[in-house]
Amino acid sequence: MEPIIIVSLLGVTALLSEMFGFKKVLLPLLILGMAAALCFNQSHWGVNTSYYHDMLLVNNYSVAFSSLLIVVAGIWLVFSGPYFTEIAFRADRAAIIMFSLTGALVMISFSNLVMLFLGIEILSISMYILAGSNKKDPASNEAALKYLLMGAFATAFLLFGITLVYGVTGTFSLAGIADHVMSGRQQLPALMHTGILLMMVGMAFKVAAVPFHFWAPDVYEGAPNEVTSFMMTIVKTAAMGAFFRLFSTCFAAAGGTWPLILSVISALTILTGNIIALYQQNVKRMLAYSSIAHAGYLLMAVVAMNQHSAGALLFYLAAYAAATLPAFAVLSALAANGEGTGTEAFRGLAKRNPLYAFAMAVSLLSLAGIPPAAGFFAKYYLFVAAFQSHYIWLAITGVAGSLAGVYYYFRIITAMYISRGSRDETPIHASLPVRVMLLIVIAATVILGIFPGLLADYF
Amino acid sequence: MIHYLFYFLSFLAIFSALMVVLVKNPVHSVLYLIVTLFSIAGHYVLLNAQFLAAVHVIVYAGAIMVLFLFVLMLLNLNVETESHKSSWLKFMAVLSGGLFLLVLTASVKGSEKIHGVISGGSETGMIKTLGNTLFGEFMLPFEISSLLFLIAMVGAVMLGKKETQ
Repeated sequence: MEPIIIVSLLGVTALLSEMFGFKKVLLPLLILGMAAALCFNQSHWGVNTSYYHDMLLVNNYSVAFSSLLIVVAGIWLVFSGPYFTEIAFRADRAAIIMFSLTGALVMISFSNLVMLFLGIEILSISMYILAGSNKKDPASNEAALKYLLMGAFATAFLLFGITLVYGVTGTFSLAGIADHVMSGRQQLPALMHTGILLMMVGMAFKVAAVPFHFWAPDVYEGAPNEVTSFMMTIVKTAAMGAFFRLFSTCFAAAGGTWPLILSVISALTILTGNIIALYQQNVKRMLAYSSIAHAGYLLMAVVAMNQHSAGALLFYLAAYAAATLPAFAVLSALAANGEGTGTEAFRGLAKRNPLYAFAMAVSLLSLAGIPPAAGFFAKYYLFVAAFQSHYIWLAITGVAGSLAGVYYYFRIITAMYISRGSRDETPIHASLPVRVMLLIVIAATVILGIFPGLLADYF
Repeated sequence: MIHYLFYFLSFLAIFSALMVVLVKNPVHSVLYLIVTLFSIAGHYVLLNAQFLAAVHVIVYAGAIMVLFLFVLMLLNLNVETESHKSSWLKFMAVLSGGLFLLVLTASVKGSEKIHGVISGGSETGMIKTLGNTLFGEFMLPFEISSLLFLIAMVGAVMLGKKETQ
């Protein structure tokens, strides 16, 4: 509860900073506030507390995911300084970022479907706005409109599902629904199963799983680079965390067809995302398709649904965020330099800025799942979880998808290190905080890859 | 008696909702949408939720529909538009929509056994009951939704205001 209050107050502070003229110190202030939120959050470790008539339930799961969200958002803020300072300082952007983080925190610790819905809406509406925040760019406008329309459509499915589940169980509370499912397991009406499937469709839309992924490439490509990075890390973490929390507490015991359908969705997502990414020339669009593929891997945790799932999910999301943030920091720096986001922009980067090239290379290795980067163990844990729940074909699909992934990730690495820079070889400068943060995040990727137990055994 | 009213309102709601999609003129679509919203408000009254019905009429049929009409008039969209979709796309849309309808109908069938008939008291939809629920059990969602509206406002200002150097 305290992190939610603190982060939403930080949003209000950001709005006030425009009025009272402390814009210059706003970003450090936000990071300090988030550090405080992190401390408060960690103090809840090991204690289950429910707030306000069981609207929020803070347990180890929500503490772990909230901490991940806050840390990722903090790192993102350090990398995304230019997003707030271009032309004039944009306190409104900072405020919307903070409010969207509040929504993400609500989504992680909800214990009532009303809170789930509100959390998703707070996060989504912020993202619709931020996707269009580059007003002069038609691609950004298109992304915002597309995201809004498809997001509203997905929300309708989710709401319809919530309505049907409410109609059967008579309650919005997760505990109440779980009780109902446990007690009446044999005679759950068809309405309940339809409700579960509709909610699954809504959530699959939000995480961009395959039959529902059509919005994702255009939105991820059209949105400003920093916002895309935010969507791929924070939004994905929150959506997957909520998805897993919802299905593990309520619907795991309901049976029915959802595990089968979700396993097919997961396999399709992995294959489609990886195969289409092979053909992309634009690095940003390639990362968008790879992000779709990663959503497929993440869904394996929900499908497997055993005692290792939550830890595997947390580890994968952390490893994915630690790889995506530096990759996008480099991408934004190149784009800000006016070089675009095509593969040719990366040619000969190793000579122009060795740190950028190294950070990008480690991130891509982690995304591809090659040891010693964290991505290897992230995939390993998920495959093991799927294996233990007897989804052997799904684990094999995952391995096949990763093999395809290695090809397109290595294309950029070879461009950076082996291809000659056909164009100018002027060095690119990075500011001190960005350099330090890049080193820290790379170190985290490698350390997690060598000692995965630090995070995977968190639960 | 109340049964017939229910069936009439349901027929009206579904019919006008279909017409929203089927008519070609956008202004007529909006007018049919108003009919849909009014018949849903009628359903609320049948369920003893008078306050909700009133709010529904004021907000949706009143404010939002007027906005819709304004936008249609201002952008001069009141011409008949024919969207061109490939017949393959139309076929798939009909197929998936039909399957969805089938699944929903099949799952609703037999659902009357779930709770039996629940009759709400006459106090159910009164403002007092609503207020007690809203500020009692559902206080946190009520407060959190203020955040939602704040974001929408900040976002509208942000997207609408002129970029200054």
